[in-house]
Amino acid sequence: MTGRWDPTRVMRRVRKALLCVTGHACALAVAVVLPTFGAYGADPAKVIRHVFPAAETGFDPAAVQDLYSATIEQMLFETLLTYDYLARPAKLVPLTAEAMPEVSDSGKTYTVRIRKGIYFIDDPAFKGKRRELTAGDYAYAFKRLIDPKIRSPWAWLVEGKIVGLDDLAEAAKRSGHFDYDAKVEGLETPDRYTLRIRLRETDYNLPYILAHEPTSAVAREVIETYRDEAGRAMANPVGTGAYRLKQWVRSSKIVLDANPDFRGFVWDFKSTDPEDQPLIAQMKGKKMPQVGRVEVSIIEEDQARLLAFQNNELDLMDLGGPLAPNVMDGGKLKPEFVKKGVKLSRIIDPAIIYVYWNMQDPIVGGLSKEKIALRRAMAMAYNVEDEVKVVRNGQAIAIDYPIPYGVVGHDPNYRSPVKYDPATANRLLDSFGYKKGPDGWRNLPDGKPFTIRYASRPDSLGRQLDELWKKAFDSIGIRMEVQKDKFPELLKLERQCKLMMRTASWIADYPDADNFMQLLYGKNIGQNNNACAKIPEYDALYEQSTRMPDSPERDKLYHEMTRIIENYAPWRLDSATYRNMLISPRVQGYRKHPILHAEWQFIDVAKAPGSVSSGSTSKAAPD
Amino acid sequence: MGAYIIRRLWQMIPTMLGVILLVFLLFNWVGGDPAYVLAGKISNQEQIDNIRRQLGVDQPYWVQLWIFVKQVVTADFGASWSTNERVSHILLTRLGPSLTVVVPLVLLATLISIGLALAVAYVRGSFTDRMVMIICTVGLSVSILVYIIVFQYVFAYKLGWFPVQGWGDSFVENLVVYSSLPILIGLVVSIAPDLRLYRTFFLDEINQDYVRTARAKGVSENRIMWVHVLRNASIPIITFLMAGIPGLLLGSFLIERFFSIPGIGREVILAVERSDFPVIKAITVYVAFATIATNLLADLTYKAVDPRVQLK
Repeated sequence: MTGRWDPTRVMRRVRKALLCVTGHACALAVAVVLPTFGAYGADPAKVIRHVFPAAETGFDPAAVQDLYSATIEQMLFETLLTYDYLARPAKLVPLTAEAMPEVSDSGKTYTVRIRKGIYFIDDPAFKGKRRELTAGDYAYAFKRLIDPKIRSPWAWLVEGKIVGLDDLAEAAKRSGHFDYDAKVEGLETPDRYTLRIRLRETDYNLPYILAHEPTSAVAREVIETYRDEAGRAMANPVGTGAYRLKQWVRSSKIVLDANPDFRGFVWDFKSTDPEDQPLIAQMKGKKMPQVGRVEVSIIEEDQARLLAFQNNELDLMDLGGPLAPNVMDGGKLKPEFVKKGVKLSRIIDPAIIYVYWNMQDPIVGGLSKEKIALRRAMAMAYNVEDEVKVVRNGQAIAIDYPIPYGVVGHDPNYRSPVKYDPATANRLLDSFGYKKGPDGWRNLPDGKPFTIRYASRPDSLGRQLDELWKKAFDSIGIRMEVQKDKFPELLKLERQCKLMMRTASWIADYPDADNFMQLLYGKNIGQNNNACAKIPEYDALYEQSTRMPDSPERDKLYHEMTRIIENYAPWRLDSATYRNMLISPRVQGYRKHPILHAEWQFIDVAKAPGSVSSGSTSKAAPD
Repeated sequence: MGAYIIRRLWQMIPTMLGVILLVFLLFNWVGGDPAYVLAGKISNQEQIDNIRRQLGVDQPYWVQLWIFVKQVVTADFGASWSTNERVSHILLTRLGPSLTVVVPLVLLATLISIGLALAVAYVRGSFTDRMVMIICTVGLSVSILVYIIVFQYVFAYKLGWFPVQGWGDSFVENLVVYSSLPILIGLVVSIAPDLRLYRTFFLDEINQDYVRTARAKGVSENRIMWVHVLRNASIPIITFLMAGIPGLLLGSFLIERFFSIPGIGREVILAVERSDFPVIKAITVYVAFATIATNLLADLTYKAVDPRVQLK
């Protein structure tokens, strides 16, 4: 019997063997593929090499305020809302929220429902359990912003806004202990996945705050495990974002790996911009994130940064103003870079550069006619185009409106009547009694001599601006001296309304006009109203605007407020800078976003040279 | 010897007190108030006062000075104001990369400079001597910044012999791959002045009577130069070397910035940019201490090199 050939038994054995082989192969494939493709589509062989021109400080969303730390945080942590990758102007979309917040009570109550099944990355602080994201994590993040011990630079995002939260902060100041368990009327979590925020006043900008990285969800257990004496957890970021911190050599190198537990998404962004169509064709339908690893180098020196990019050591690089002439002809890349396949993504920053005069200063301040005439004359004597060309290397654009490009409320058709016109400036000064003395310099209308003190930092940018302003003042016969001080000291004097004039800048915290128009609100003196301006008409209109959502009516108010700025001249609007991102030929789908700091989860990249695709044997894509 | 060391250590105290006072005065005079930067873009006076209170800069000056003295005595400078990282951790983690560049640089520069200086001193007045001196004069007239920019462009970017910048995880990789070009630049910068200086030390010795006597006794030229002349010229060389080492640690900040080396020099610049007083305080005090310590070490080395030296 044993020697008999039985086709049925043989077939059964063959089938068994095949099943066994297939089973082992499947198990092997699962074992190989799962860890590497755990983060949806992310492939560890796809590495993006980015560069920062300045060092980060840490990764606690409540504590850090520098751009570079915030860039990393955006990848590690998640806010309730975010911005659509391609929509311009920037458009809010849900991130961990199920949908956009429900707004009720005339913009005083916001209810947000959080998606179920989002998990923090594993960490010993969770003691081996999977930790799901809940509404309480956002409430906790909000409370941390106002905890006096943490001294968050983002306290202003919630201060005076959420019902009951300021009382908790006051109690903490008295007791020295912030009670995170105390109920806050304005921060309710009726169930595990619902957050209800109640505001003291109508505020239509709250959704922008919900997309701002300081309000990212953090797990209380993690903070309590790793916090320092100030209550900050700067070195142990544990979030729900697309990436996790793999390696951190402070001020030198930051390596992120794709978060294996990240839920992922399918690339399906839309745009009507013809320039975006090739990008959409390349990326549409891909499982994201594709990039499995992000390596960020910190290179402070311009030359080193550019050489590293040209030497194929970097894939993405923000081309600062000083480097622009080496790489660009006007607004385009030089042919040698185009030939190498380098691409450029260029936007105007959602920011403004402006010059302010201290409205409380006895010489340049005040609302009397001769003071207004003096400020207008100074504004007309300054040639912004010279600054754009000489100081900004052509990488800026003169602006007419205080609400910059890419920000809700911007009006591209608005034209300011304030132009470079030293002849009119001289006539204006003559007619208001600023007569020239025997020494050739103008005196005040009462005949007393005066000097304008222009404050600037002791760096090359400061020196270049000094020279341009000296030229402007010389052209209208006004004595000028430069007040040099370190940046912290300038800030201090500015807050105390002790500087006479300075060139300042403001970048959008959120892309709404309010973030810019509040800079001249009288109640913000001592904070960010660095002109120390208190113009009753402006303040009344501003207060009216804060109670309105984005609408043509609100835009009309902003027009009126801009006319007031031009009339009283507390500012001379200057310029907005371009942001030029250099992109290596390996990168696909990149477009600089005006508000998001990093775009790594939206892009794709060819595999690192020499690498073998994970889970397959295909050769690396050509570099 | 023991009494000498104890006396020298004892003398450190007034020196260190002077350093503490100077650093404290300088920072409070020109340092600026960090609270206004740390408070963020939008902050009120109450928040600024809260930060000042937490940093301790609202205390009377004498209290702040006393805290500084205690920090020096306990070697605990607290945490960085901008990153909250412990200062001790900052120094420990940044020291390694700096030493990876500085130690081989000092060793190589010293050996090469001594060798070349001995050689040109031996052929003093010859064409070779003159050419070497001209090259040295030209070499030391050029700023280190020019060397860095040119070498980085030519050797790293154009020729591709080295990476343009970077720092890895393993010591060997850092030493061989990432430190090679910085060390090469350091050598070019330091050999020219060192060679000129050492040459003068050697020439002083070559003209001494004992050299003539040795030659008259038939001692070989190699022995005269490498044993007798070198030993006698080594005291000023040791003085020069030891005095330069602490400064070299900080002075390499340009190299560290251009090559993205996470060392002490780069950290100093960062701390100054951020008005991060705890880090500045710690580094200044440690460098002062290192200077005093290396001076003492130099004195002890004199005795080892030349037994005739008496330490009093």
